[in-house]
Amino acid sequence: MEEVSALLDKMQERAPAAAARGLYEGAGVMANEVRKGAESIRTAPFHYVRAGTRLPSPEEKSIVTQASAGIAKFSKTGSEVDTSVGFRNAGYAQLKGKTVPIPKIVNAINSGTSFMQKQPFVRKAARSAAPKAMEAIKKRIEAEFEAMGKE
Amino acid sequence: MPSEYEALVAALKLTDIPFAEYGWKTRPEGAYGVVQLDFEAGQMNGDGEKLDRVWEGSVDLFYPKLTDRGDLIDAVEETLTEILGNSWELNSTQYERETGLFHVEWAFQVLHSEEEEEPEGGEQDAVHDEG
Repeated sequence: MEEVSALLDKMQERAPAAAARGLYEGAGVMANEVRKGAESIRTAPFHYVRAGTRLPSPEEKSIVTQASAGIAKFSKTGSEVDTSVGFRNAGYAQLKGKTVPIPKIVNAINSGTSFMQKQPFVRKAARSAAPKAMEAIKKRIEAEFEAMGKE
Repeated sequence: MPSEYEALVAALKLTDIPFAEYGWKTRPEGAYGVVQLDFEAGQMNGDGEKLDRVWEGSVDLFYPKLTDRGDLIDAVEETLTEILGNSWELNSTQYERETGLFHVEWAFQVLHSEEEEEPEGGEQDAVHDEG
């Protein structure tokens, strides 16, 4: 009985860490899928348009594919851990002699603008990767707890 | 095309906001909208066949005056609710500095197939054919 209660105590203590490790695995799956999605962006050579639906130029695409879809810092509230995947901290790039924030380019492609046709590759990746990410998280957490039982 | 999507496009075109599918060649004056299907968000398989799929699409609203916001957003959201029930969400709100346009984006999901009612006595007929 004491052994069981000791194990339960240990589990409670280490559950957030195990969850974080699982979440990291899942976020990795998601980030990979977003990166893959960035490869599938359609492009067309840049030309000025007054309005309408232009596609991103190859230069804009290469900025997005070279910037990695990163995993944000983990935030912890109580026993809950949270994170996000995206281009938020991707930094800046040079485009036609101007310094442009990469999130802005990604946003223009992903959501579209009044000039650009939308190609929601981030949303698509999020939808298709969610079940896979969930599976990866579950697997990792189970492995963590199994290891705890064997200690 | 999913019938719900077609109904949504028809209903959006009935609103006061000019709506087009998959973008405008020339941008209209004032507020305007775009509606489109984006990708396949899920599928249901059985017996090695694709039985059904879920499409994800989006509605984009561009408007130049912040004061118009309430009416325009209400008009779109009421239409979405009327046609799709609750299978939509507000995805993002943005501002384009170059054009001075505000941009609101909704994502929605629709089933590809219609729910079909089984014709009466359909099963019996099938048995007959085999015999």
